[in-house]
Amino acid sequence: MTTTSAQTVITPARTRTAADTVTVRRKQGFQHGAWFVAPFLVLFALFVIWPLLRGLYLSFTDANISGDATNFIGLDNYREALDDPLVWESLGHSAYFTLLVVPCITVLAFLLAMLAHHIERGKWLWRLCFFAPFLLPSTVAANLWQWLFNPGTGMVNHVLGIETAWLTDKSYAMLAVVVCTLWWTVGFSFLLYLAALQGIPAHLYEAAKLDGANAWHRMVHITLPMLRNITGLVLALQILASLQVFDQAVVMMDFLPGPEGSTRTFVQYTLEEGFTSYRVGYASAISIIFFVIIAAVALARMWLLRNREEGGR
Amino acid sequence: MGRPGLNRRQLLAGLGGVTVAGSLGFAALGTGADALASGADTRVRYWNLFSGGDGYNMIAMLDSFRRANPDIDVKDSTLQWGSPFYTKLAMAAAGNRAPDLGVMHLGRVTGFSPGRLLDPWDVDLLAKYGVREADFNPELWKRAVIGGKLYALPLDIHVQLCFYRKDVLKKAGLLGDDGHIVPVTSVDEWFDVLKEAKKATKKGLQTIGMWSSDQNFQWWFFVAFYTQLGGTWFDDANTEVTFDTDKATQVLEFLRRHLTDGYVNPGFAGGAGAEQFVNGGPFVWEGNWSVPVFDGAKIEYGATPLPPVFGQQATHAESHSFVLPHQADRGGAANEGAHQLAAYIVQHAQQWAAGGHIPAYTPTLSSAAYKKMNPQSEYVSAMDHQATEPKVWFAGSTGILAQRVGPIVVSSTVGSAKPDAAARSMKSTLTELLASKNPMDGRTAAQGGAVA
Repeated sequence: MTTTSAQTVITPARTRTAADTVTVRRKQGFQHGAWFVAPFLVLFALFVIWPLLRGLYLSFTDANISGDATNFIGLDNYREALDDPLVWESLGHSAYFTLLVVPCITVLAFLLAMLAHHIERGKWLWRLCFFAPFLLPSTVAANLWQWLFNPGTGMVNHVLGIETAWLTDKSYAMLAVVVCTLWWTVGFSFLLYLAALQGIPAHLYEAAKLDGANAWHRMVHITLPMLRNITGLVLALQILASLQVFDQAVVMMDFLPGPEGSTRTFVQYTLEEGFTSYRVGYASAISIIFFVIIAAVALARMWLLRNREEGGR
Repeated sequence: MGRPGLNRRQLLAGLGGVTVAGSLGFAALGTGADALASGADTRVRYWNLFSGGDGYNMIAMLDSFRRANPDIDVKDSTLQWGSPFYTKLAMAAAGNRAPDLGVMHLGRVTGFSPGRLLDPWDVDLLAKYGVREADFNPELWKRAVIGGKLYALPLDIHVQLCFYRKDVLKKAGLLGDDGHIVPVTSVDEWFDVLKEAKKATKKGLQTIGMWSSDQNFQWWFFVAFYTQLGGTWFDDANTEVTFDTDKATQVLEFLRRHLTDGYVNPGFAGGAGAEQFVNGGPFVWEGNWSVPVFDGAKIEYGATPLPPVFGQQATHAESHSFVLPHQADRGGAANEGAHQLAAYIVQHAQQWAAGGHIPAYTPTLSSAAYKKMNPQSEYVSAMDHQATEPKVWFAGSTGILAQRVGPIVVSSTVGSAKPDAAARSMKSTLTELLASKNPMDGRTAAQGGAVA
């Protein structure tokens, strides 16, 4: 769902001239294209649209996991959700995580990309090092960091010479998840930045140099503006992905909601209600609420982007 | 390349064909192929949740059953324990794809919709294979009976224990002539023991590991000590909360004091407690499943039930038990095979006891071979003073009750909430849960929720 909405968001505005001229060819193109996208559309309808509609229906019922004895209860689940402190608490945790991760990952990815772009010796090694963690499954990354954060034998405390209870103290648990996430996922944004950096025409820098611009000026007036679109993409993808944080937090906390529930994210709470408490109807209702929130974030970003583009014209 | 010569109708027909062929193929894989491979007459599908040492022991027991009964093909599947296991079991039973035999924590049976997701045991059939009510601890058996029918066949109880290092305690003068820890009968005595033990402990190690920030362990310890005080949860009709906040406060203060008096280092919470113990920490409160771990570490240790600091012996106990997940057409050879297999394993639980669990089957429990096991024989008495969660639909291992109340106990133990406030908060959560409806049948505990 995320990638789809993100893709819609980032599709660059099509140049009007090309689109308007040959309507006939475009129509034919559509017919051909339909066959190519059909497999995707079928799967999308089957595994996204249908479950979404089904979830919407279930959110108005008191369905349980066994699927029988289901009654239509109207908006009761939604009413309950608004009064449920755990809904707000877990939503707060997901938002807190997003606020920490998104800026860090964007800056970090940019810096690493600059480093890998400009360094001459062993270029491939740097790129591999920065990108490799992203290839690991979340469980591997989470287990790895669980060891590193272990208070007795873990490397983090050993290196820093401290005795912090990273995974069992509620003030640090979410930070530990954030650190793991940064290490694990920065590679993807790094790659986007690297590709964008390589796409900046060299003649721009040459011209600037001739005009006497120093490194700082070149960065501020060429690099950063040329990376604006990619930064928008990184931010969008990271916000949407971070709001849905789940697996690394759950694995790092041994399938529990962390010390005093401090790493219980919204997705985890939905899972608990649906699959531990067997309240499928209620879990559907809160996941629909979450869907609306995420869709709102995606739409807000799209709206902001459009305004900015129009303003810039 | 030209456009593919395919219209919508042809495509649909093609897809339909592929689907039918595919499902037939899978069906063949699921049943025919297995039966062909084993050549056995009966096939018993068995789901369990045992990994690690328990998994190894269970597989060894299954193999000896297979050797003794070559006509029965046991197809066992091990799934991730905890909520994921129960979810899969519930959905399989609801979708009529349930295995012939399953394992559950006894405390979860009440909430697992007996009669709808679980089928009752055929007690006569069990007797045919040598398992009778008289061979079990009565309390344990009683917990498995719901609405007059037996829904679970207990395999063991597993309890929280107080593990101690004999080498450290000897140095501290806390080891009796029998090589066991000196008896403890009150809170003051217990903290005196910790004080002496601390003096004999190497620098950098904590005195006792007690999972101070783990919601499951802290809840289990609470259940144990609250039961020692004679505390109750609900009245018999499950209409009123009888939870005693004064007693609860006493327990919460007791747990908290381990941290405030400096015997627990919050930095070594969770699994790090066991690590500290192996490195020379004098005490750790752990589940009996840690016995193989400490055996493997080759340390000199003993294990008793949790100290009876409030006078009365009681330690938290759960039980692995066999269940029959609901099948619309339960019966026949596979069903009888399930009875035979469960009865066999219950009776051959000597191997199981090596994993630290206390066998539920009393003939095994009182056998000479079991009595020789160490430290198992030191804590076998726990069978007679089990502290368990109330018998309601929301209780049981990793269930809703633990999930809701566990974090409150933790908040008091680690100091982010005052014990008396935490006790009140526990009571209001219990009140809320008692009034809530079981999603399986829409009835509250008082209305007999989940008991069909």
